[in-house]
Amino acid sequence: MRSNGWKILCLLVPLSLVPLIGCNSSVLSYKPNDLHAASLTHESADSSPKAAASSVSQWLENWFGTIDAPIWPSPVADVPVVNMKAVVRCAGPVGRLEDKVERGIFRKHCVTCHGLSGDGRGPAAMFLDPYPRDFRRGTFKFKSTPAGSKPTADDLQHVLRHGIPGTSMPSFQALEESEEFANDVEDLSQYVQFLAIRGEVERRMLTKLLRDSEPLTPESQWPLDILRSVVEKWSDAPNQAFPTPSIPNWLTDPTQNKERSEAVAKGKELFGSELTACSKCHGPSGRGDGASQDYDEWTKDWTVLAGIDPKQPGAWKVMKPYGALKPVIAKPRNLQWGGLHGGSDPVSIYKRIVLGIEGTPMPPVARSSNSNPGLNEEEIWCLVGYVQELGQAQRIAESTPQNTQSAAASSLNTSDPKSMQKAEDKVQPSESSTLVMRGGKGE
Amino acid sequence: MKNSKNLSLKNNSHPAPATESSDDLERNFKATLGSVRLWSTLATLFIFPLIWVGGLVTTHDAGMAVPDWPGTYGYNLFLYPISTWLYGPFDLLIEHGHRLLGSWVGLLAIGLNIAAWTTESRKWYRWASLGLLLAVIAQGLLGGFRVVLDERTIAMLHGCGGPLVFAFASFLAIAASTDWRTAQPGSWRETRPGVPSRRVWRASWLLLIATVTQLVLGAQLRHALPNTSPTSFMAMVHLHLTFAAVVTILILAISVLIRIDFLRSEGTRDSLEFARIRTPANWLVGLLFVQLGLGLGTWFVNYALPWSGLSPSLAQYAIAAKGYWESMIVTAHQATGSLLISLSVWLICRVGRRLVPLADSQTSSTINLDNQRISEQPAAR
Repeated sequence: MRSNGWKILCLLVPLSLVPLIGCNSSVLSYKPNDLHAASLTHESADSSPKAAASSVSQWLENWFGTIDAPIWPSPVADVPVVNMKAVVRCAGPVGRLEDKVERGIFRKHCVTCHGLSGDGRGPAAMFLDPYPRDFRRGTFKFKSTPAGSKPTADDLQHVLRHGIPGTSMPSFQALEESEEFANDVEDLSQYVQFLAIRGEVERRMLTKLLRDSEPLTPESQWPLDILRSVVEKWSDAPNQAFPTPSIPNWLTDPTQNKERSEAVAKGKELFGSELTACSKCHGPSGRGDGASQDYDEWTKDWTVLAGIDPKQPGAWKVMKPYGALKPVIAKPRNLQWGGLHGGSDPVSIYKRIVLGIEGTPMPPVARSSNSNPGLNEEEIWCLVGYVQELGQAQRIAESTPQNTQSAAASSLNTSDPKSMQKAEDKVQPSESSTLVMRGGKGE
Repeated sequence: MKNSKNLSLKNNSHPAPATESSDDLERNFKATLGSVRLWSTLATLFIFPLIWVGGLVTTHDAGMAVPDWPGTYGYNLFLYPISTWLYGPFDLLIEHGHRLLGSWVGLLAIGLNIAAWTTESRKWYRWASLGLLLAVIAQGLLGGFRVVLDERTIAMLHGCGGPLVFAFASFLAIAASTDWRTAQPGSWRETRPGVPSRRVWRASWLLLIATVTQLVLGAQLRHALPNTSPTSFMAMVHLHLTFAAVVTILILAISVLIRIDFLRSEGTRDSLEFARIRTPANWLVGLLFVQLGLGLGTWFVNYALPWSGLSPSLAQYAIAAKGYWESMIVTAHQATGSLLISLSVWLICRVGRRLVPLADSQTSSTINLDNQRISEQPAAR
């Protein structure tokens, strides 16, 4: 027994030092997108994805510089999408120089999860749910622009400021309270855009090289076309921004209980209808237990598109050497819990319904027009009201004794909005209105 | 007893005059121990806040807040303007503060050496004091090279070295304590009432190894390089959790074994000897639970809980990056880890002094004095 204890310790102690082998932080660089190259060449016999990814990465160094000294591509110097002063401040190692200006803030705050290249493969990536976002696809979930468009800098800053509740994405709002860090959020949003542009150019170049078999030579013009196309899309993002809608009075005015109850009842009806199909994923009561379960686009990129079934156990492992993480289903949100990832305030919920969540199975809702059936403005606000109500009822139930919990819960299950409101009023007369007013956190 | 005294006089590098009375000897030892005890205790007490501030430097990634070394922005370390330091950026405040505190600990280590080499008669203690001074200097150099080379791997080694220096200083403070002086060395074969068995001694050493290993693993997680692969990081987290379980089992086992040994040796529950062994063990148990809570808290404030889907409160919680409490929890986890190592050393010393038959020259004399005192004043014990 005694000797066994020693033997186990003797085995485990040296193991603790294994990760130290080969540690050298001085040789850092943007990691080539091996995973995308591998997914493009998965079914071809004679391919070397790592060599192709490496050659594209080297090509990009002329345009975007190195990880410690990023530059804006000279061919698109006339389209300055990002503030390069902010980008340079964010890149490189953490610390201050003689001018006492702090540098390397991306490595300070983001790299443990998002990785040096913004590939979502930072050291802690495997533990997080959902996985950290891979910026290189150029796809962002929570934005104010339509599907297929790039987010604005404000959209990125909104996520940075408020974080994403229930996930590992923190809120950096505290930084802005300090004078010395006041620009950090703004500068980080610039660097995220830079990484996304660099990553998307790299990704599309790999597709052209490996799928369309275009040769990559110093004289090739197609990389330049890709660069211009990507940069123009980012440049156009502010013009695509969805105008902030005006919130109906019943949603903010606590005295309009009758109108609110009617709107919420209408929202509930729409939630379960075929037209919106919300309940297919979120479940009939909004608990996120709907029948439809799917993966996000980042996962499908290297599974479905490469001919790998993400549901088949172990099939994904062929991509593991290239940086693949175990596919995880994009779980529909349990709306009864509140704390929505894209913001719980009425405007944020409205935008999620109208614009969808890009890269995930959450689509934009169909909007009514002359020829197409869909939701009109008023109906969308009814849906917003119902989604808010779902989260608030749970919060009320959580903060009250058991007998009133059942009242609040049963009120949700009944289609009678009056009884729902009655139950809430019984629980805490002012709680409902307070929560509505607090809903502005996200904006 | 006579043999023991002869041995002590033969080995003592600063032998007491043969004509000196036992009272004079005791006074001499008290003065000697009092001096080194003061300096070693001061060094230990100041190394702990040094570890705290160092932990804050890591938490806020402030290691490079001052780009030069050994100076600070071109100034001599001690002449850097106080107003610029105190009212400057937070990372500069803690990094420069860490350097100043480190220098102060260096001065305390020099003070300990002066005391030890002028008044301490135990040869090994004098050399150990010198070892502490060299260790403090080495830590300072490691910190300096971390800045000059901007190398995070050195930062990790520096982070591992701090708690080891703390444990070493704690050992010197314990070796200058009354308990060290008055404890009666035992024998491997004999058992005395209230004195634990060799299995407690072995388990204490295992605990020291396990806590130091936890420190190395924790440092690797804290100082994870940006290019560390997710697989390596996951392996480190799993090893860290495994050793957390090992440390938990060892501490609880030691606590139980001490009680079993005490009962088996027919000691009385209020025995002073038992209390002296039990004290570090109780501290270990208490701090273990604090540390487990802080470990969970550290994960929570860094990455959120993996089971956030279980409760609406967790689902609604957004982590505040670099928030006050978040920083304190992470730093406290690291500092408590250092305390566990030092407590393991304390336990080893308390158990070892009662079990290990070997005794240095000074101690032999001390024991003779002690035994003499016991025979003269039995009620004092």
